[in-house]
Amino acid sequence: MTRNSLILGLLITVALWSGGPLPAQADVWFQCPTTAGGSFNDDDGDGMIRADAGEIINPVSPNEVCMHLSSGDGFVNMADKVLEAPNGHEQYVFGFSNVTDVPDSQVMEVGMVHSNFPAPTITIKENDEFYLTLTNVGMMMRPDLFDPHTVHFHGFPNASAVFDGVPDDSISINMGSSLTYYYNVKDPGTYMYHCHVEAAEHMQMGMLGNLYVEPAQDGSSIAYNGRTYSRFAYNDGDGSTGYDVAYPIQVSSFDPNFHDMHIAVQPLPFAFMTDQYPMINGRGYPDTINNSDPDGLANSFDGNKSQKVDSLITATVGQRILLRISSLITTNFVTLTTQGIPMQVVGNGARKLGPMNNTSQYYMTNSISLGGGEAMEVILDTYGPDGVLGGGDDIAPGTYFLYATNVDHLANNEEDYGGMMTEIVISTP
Amino acid sequence: MMNTFTRYIRGQITVLVALLLLVPASGAWAQIDGLTGQTTFNLTVKTGHIVTPDAASMMIWGYADDSTGQVQIPGPTLIVNQGDHITVNLHNTLPEAVSIVFPGHQVTASGGVAGVLTNEVPGNDAVTQVTYEFDATEPGTYTYYSGSHSDLQVEMGLYGAIIVRPAGFDPAAPTAYGDARSAYDYEFLILQSEMDYAIHHQVELSLLADPLVPPVIDTAAYHPTIWFLNGRPGPDDLAPAGAAWLPVQPYNCLPRGNPGKRVLARMIGAGRDSHPFHTHGNNFDLIARNGRLLESAPGMSKAATELGPVPDLAVSDYTQTTSPGGTYDTIYTWTGEDLGWDIYGTTNGHTCSSSTCTDVSPADGYDDGTGDACWDDTTYEFCPDHGKPLPVVLPDIKDLTFGMFWSGSPLLGNEGALPPGEGGFNVNFGYFHIWHSHNERELTNNDIFPGGMMTFFIVEPPGIAIQ
Repeated sequence: MTRNSLILGLLITVALWSGGPLPAQADVWFQCPTTAGGSFNDDDGDGMIRADAGEIINPVSPNEVCMHLSSGDGFVNMADKVLEAPNGHEQYVFGFSNVTDVPDSQVMEVGMVHSNFPAPTITIKENDEFYLTLTNVGMMMRPDLFDPHTVHFHGFPNASAVFDGVPDDSISINMGSSLTYYYNVKDPGTYMYHCHVEAAEHMQMGMLGNLYVEPAQDGSSIAYNGRTYSRFAYNDGDGSTGYDVAYPIQVSSFDPNFHDMHIAVQPLPFAFMTDQYPMINGRGYPDTINNSDPDGLANSFDGNKSQKVDSLITATVGQRILLRISSLITTNFVTLTTQGIPMQVVGNGARKLGPMNNTSQYYMTNSISLGGGEAMEVILDTYGPDGVLGGGDDIAPGTYFLYATNVDHLANNEEDYGGMMTEIVISTP
Repeated sequence: MMNTFTRYIRGQITVLVALLLLVPASGAWAQIDGLTGQTTFNLTVKTGHIVTPDAASMMIWGYADDSTGQVQIPGPTLIVNQGDHITVNLHNTLPEAVSIVFPGHQVTASGGVAGVLTNEVPGNDAVTQVTYEFDATEPGTYTYYSGSHSDLQVEMGLYGAIIVRPAGFDPAAPTAYGDARSAYDYEFLILQSEMDYAIHHQVELSLLADPLVPPVIDTAAYHPTIWFLNGRPGPDDLAPAGAAWLPVQPYNCLPRGNPGKRVLARMIGAGRDSHPFHTHGNNFDLIARNGRLLESAPGMSKAATELGPVPDLAVSDYTQTTSPGGTYDTIYTWTGEDLGWDIYGTTNGHTCSSSTCTDVSPADGYDDGTGDACWDDTTYEFCPDHGKPLPVVLPDIKDLTFGMFWSGSPLLGNEGALPPGEGGFNVNFGYFHIWHSHNERELTNNDIFPGGMMTFFIVEPPGIAIQ
């Protein structure tokens, strides 16, 4: 049986399910509420529907923001493209896909075997009222499974149980149905999100993504160290977290044995989970710097462009780079460095270090360490630690590297010269 | 993948929590269990066995309090007062030498034989006593553990916690370090460790072969497969303290609190691995490390992330990495602020009244907007959200899978309709928030998920007594 006919068969099976044993209530429903006569559409095609972008007619709030994710399974390829030529090791994954612009009637079909790794990046703003719909499209390649899924907004302050996505103490959505989460977003910072159902399994399988909240201070012009910024990591008051370019950097890793056992319908090795593919934003080096297709890297299973996030960091001399670094590794700690460019840590756990108008708790470093579920904001100043042009510490134009100093992570399984690494390209303005 | 093992564990949790709910709420939940009211402790190292949630039997070594003779992991939590002169007398029943080190304290050891780190009680010697003495000069959270053959003995379970109460400690208005910056309403111990079943199995086989010969074990092959909070793997840690069926593991780990209360979680890295411990529900403020406040100078203070002052160098985060031998005191408060909907419902006629309602522009850059310090005087309801309905329509119950700790309702203190056999283990209809190692592999017991290093913080509705 070819893969296509296999998929077709499974599609038909699920279609029969959908019309058969599932309760009549089961339905896909993207909740993006409006008052009478309202409607919504992702006009700018960014995968988010924002009232303040005019994409919601008659919104229930001027701060309303809507997004629709599907959760299911799919495939991605690892970066060991020499030893596993030509595509790299194919991995079965669970994951999310952005179906914000897909009509409800087509979400099941579009979402199936269509997962991204990492999950679609969620960028929201302080004061957003965020309606996030999750539709469980099922795991086509594991029709023996009936797993529900959730979104856990990791770090959301003062969370309620109903929208926290922890299956033990909350609700999770079954196949063929939709659950809409609501977040009144008040605290800027770097968070992350993942499915919390059978977390050791679903997270190892890839249900991980970047999520960050931009501060209300964005848009005001504040001068700091002689340069003026309009975008900031936090409401710092003094511009000290100002930046010119920002990149989410989420580290994760896969145990190929776990994934291969999964698609082979075998018992899963939890006790001996040993990650061999260290990654940044769902790719090993050199795939991390491959931005040749803005739609992402196509997998070898069905050509779905499932790895959409490259991590090539670019800036010009004089700019400040904000790195929103998070870890969703399920097995171990990792230490990262940016060789040749000192790091300044300005926040962690979605909190600025120290009070407003105060930089005393920021610190310079050459490495940061993170366990799973930890996040930090790091600023790279191309004018060097002194923050001003000259002074002998300006960063020269060239290519620098962000990589794991756990140097065994600099490999894609058995293929060396890869893994948890990306490039920082500094050019002249 | 929901497998039979998972269902088995769910059954185990069901039994444990059912039993838990039969035990009346007692002070044991709101203050840390341990040995109090004494300055001299008599401990003996013994072997014992625990039954882990995956139904394996595992040999452990532990410190026993001689007043009961019961070996336990972790060792007895020694709760003493600042200024006490502490004496710990140690005896040994193992075939190899044992000892105790007390990091953070200036210890004088006498008796026994000289070891590398401290005086030791020799193996196969039921008579010799080693005495350790120190002054508890500084309040805080400390640990103690074996200073002999530590790679094996700590793995086997020879560790425990020490809590030094500050001078003038008032149980009615407790603080960890003596002033409002470390004030708390409820305190909990979260002592983290892990074990490699294979090592314990080899030790047991060795002692079975000859109980007088020290086991020779390759601890370099260490690969932990089961994780513990206060000496119990999840879900056993949810069961009551002192549960009769867990005789070697007397301490539980089930932090609870009402909205607006300050909860002190004393975290300890007692094993040999670091763990990223994630608190669902809210950030905490790390106020002290290794028994010292995070302050730039004595008395320096700042506003906490949530309520009240904390030391000025306190760090707010949602994940605390605990490293081996380290202690971490955190203050956690849950208020439900800014959720954007009324967590107590819109149809039951409850009111929200705040005498402190102010529009502050805090120095931390958070919680801006109107009415950001408007909590009801008794329930800590966030009044600006009062009367706002849940903004979304929840799916039909037939489209959902329910957790056993789900009340059936998104509202705090409310019960909702659930299908038969679902939920039922949340008697006060609180919000359960999982606290766990975010190295998710550690949420397993010998290859079986869920379990390991996980517990829940329960946001109990206002009026539910924690003590």
